Amino acid sequence: MKHGRIYLDNCVTTQPAPEVLQAMQPYFEEKFWVPGSFISTGETINDAIEVFANTVASAIWAKPSEIHFCSGGTLANNMAIKGLAAAYGKTGNHVIVSVVDYPDLLTNAAYLEKHGMEVTYLSADAQGFVNLAELKNAIRKDTFLFMTTAVNHVVGTIQPLAEIKAILDAADHKIYFHVDAGQAFGKIPLDVKELGIDTMAISAHKIHGPQGIGALYQNTGVKLGQTIHGVKRVDNLQTGGLNIALIAGFAKAVELAFTDFAATTKHLREISDYLLSSLENKIPEIELNGPRGAKRAPHNINVSIAYIEGEAITMMLDAKGITVATGSACASQGLKANYVLMAMGKNHVQAHGSMKFTVSKFTTKAQIDEVVTELAEISKELRARSPLYSATHKEK
Amino acid sequence: MQYSQKVLDHFMHPHNVGKMENPDAVATEGSPACGDQVTVYLKVDEDKHIIEDISFLSYGCASNIATASIITDLAKGKSLDEAKKISWRDAMEALDGLPPVKVHCSVLAADTLQTAISNYEIAHGLKEVPNFSKDTIVAELKKIIYPQVGEDIVSLKMVKYVGFADGEVLIDMNMMNFDQWRENVAEEIREHLEKYPEVKNIKINFP
Repeated sequence: MKHGRIYLDNCVTTQPAPEVLQAMQPYFEEKFWVPGSFISTGETINDAIEVFANTVASAIWAKPSEIHFCSGGTLANNMAIKGLAAAYGKTGNHVIVSVVDYPDLLTNAAYLEKHGMEVTYLSADAQGFVNLAELKNAIRKDTFLFMTTAVNHVVGTIQPLAEIKAILDAADHKIYFHVDAGQAFGKIPLDVKELGIDTMAISAHKIHGPQGIGALYQNTGVKLGQTIHGVKRVDNLQTGGLNIALIAGFAKAVELAFTDFAATTKHLREISDYLLSSLENKIPEIELNGPRGAKRAPHNINVSIAYIEGEAITMMLDAKGITVATGSACASQGLKANYVLMAMGKNHVQAHGSMKFTVSKFTTKAQIDEVVTELAEISKELRARSPLYSATHKEK
Repeated sequence: MQYSQKVLDHFMHPHNVGKMENPDAVATEGSPACGDQVTVYLKVDEDKHIIEDISFLSYGCASNIATASIITDLAKGKSLDEAKKISWRDAMEALDGLPPVKVHCSVLAADTLQTAISNYEIAHGLKEVPNFSKDTIVAELKKIIYPQVGEDIVSLKMVKYVGFADGEVLIDMNMMNFDQWRENVAEEIREHLEKYPEVKNIKINFP
């Protein structure tokens, strides 16, 4: 490899920024304490957490008291969904989610169903947008929760949160609004007050923070039943100890992403626009999955390459030192084509040939050039082996 | 999940890949909907009945390409009778094994080779077009791999009953309702049987 691995799977996790590692260092080496009262070690950590909560809160226009640090996005989603169900739901009550949502939401919906609640699964259109007409019709007297994934984890579709909120508000009773912002946080503005979000999950390692730390936003006045019981160190929602160094790293990552939010997202948009146009110029017969332009998150490009299969492509790219993702059934443990693409009406061949590239602030145009050059070669090679390509492209 | 070095070698540098001009026999098995499809081309010495040349095309994952590549290696230079004995287990062994969820790729590769040979034999009057019967169904079911363990569903006693009458296939399966592979196996059964014009309807029952 010429210059290290090119990593384009940043929707899964990102490289921690050097500043983040620096910010964590003192809390590993020196101030490794837990929060407490009346003694300086504990008070130091109390104060630090307050400062860090303030940093995270201000990124989403929330109050520091509304931020609950926890071990990541999945735990935050669980605390919110199970917590809302415990506080406001009863057996037989109704929840709405969509078929393209993140597994955290869908598995929790299945859990609620198993425990006697009813769930409506909204369909999505060909671009991955949740069907809002269905949402209007799905709302019942006993609907207490709607949840959505602000930015789709497969195709980057930005759900129209304001429009959704208006529909929920038009109901004659309160419907709680939970948002998984794993892919959205740090990529699109999320003003929780203006959007009327009740609970929202965010994660540090998607924005160059450390793995193992995230936060739940809980709007003041919204009750959450406790799901994890134990000793209270930082929070009574996630009890037990929380790593202060990770919280420090999370806050630093937020500071880096949001100090010049416009510049951060502009870079991502430029790189992914460049990637898409390079792919479209250099590889014939590919198609973009999901929306084009402003309705798509700035870090995500997902294309289907016709006649070839994604696992083979990712393995060949891997051998060249490039990490990307695919929606192919062959690459999944359950041998199932990506459910989001299938729900968008794509066929098996489109899902099998789908490649997902997610860029970060560290991604350069030179890296994109290398990836597209390699991918063009690989596509040519695999197409030469493919009976589908051979059947539709007669040799001269 | 890990591939053996042999699988990686055959995937990165497949042997006998490419379309053959004027083959003596050709067969395509699998379907794009199921994510894998293999075409095998044969050139056969008409007097000695020896496979002089063989090549393949593959739409599928790394193990799909690798198993097709190895099957062509195994068959090349063999007599038709010898080649008819090549099974998916031979392909798997020659590749130093496959992960259980990928065993079905070796079945597809071996199956495509056998269909190509059969097509040759039928075209050259070496055998009759076989009649469709219950045995055909069972033979097809033996090609379906339970992905969890990488063995076929017949050997694993997952098939309780097979019936065939008036174009309707009836299969009773022995797979529990919490088995995550039920849908996958049912889909494969349909794919394997729908290609026969004699089959008008397929009914698969689970407990």
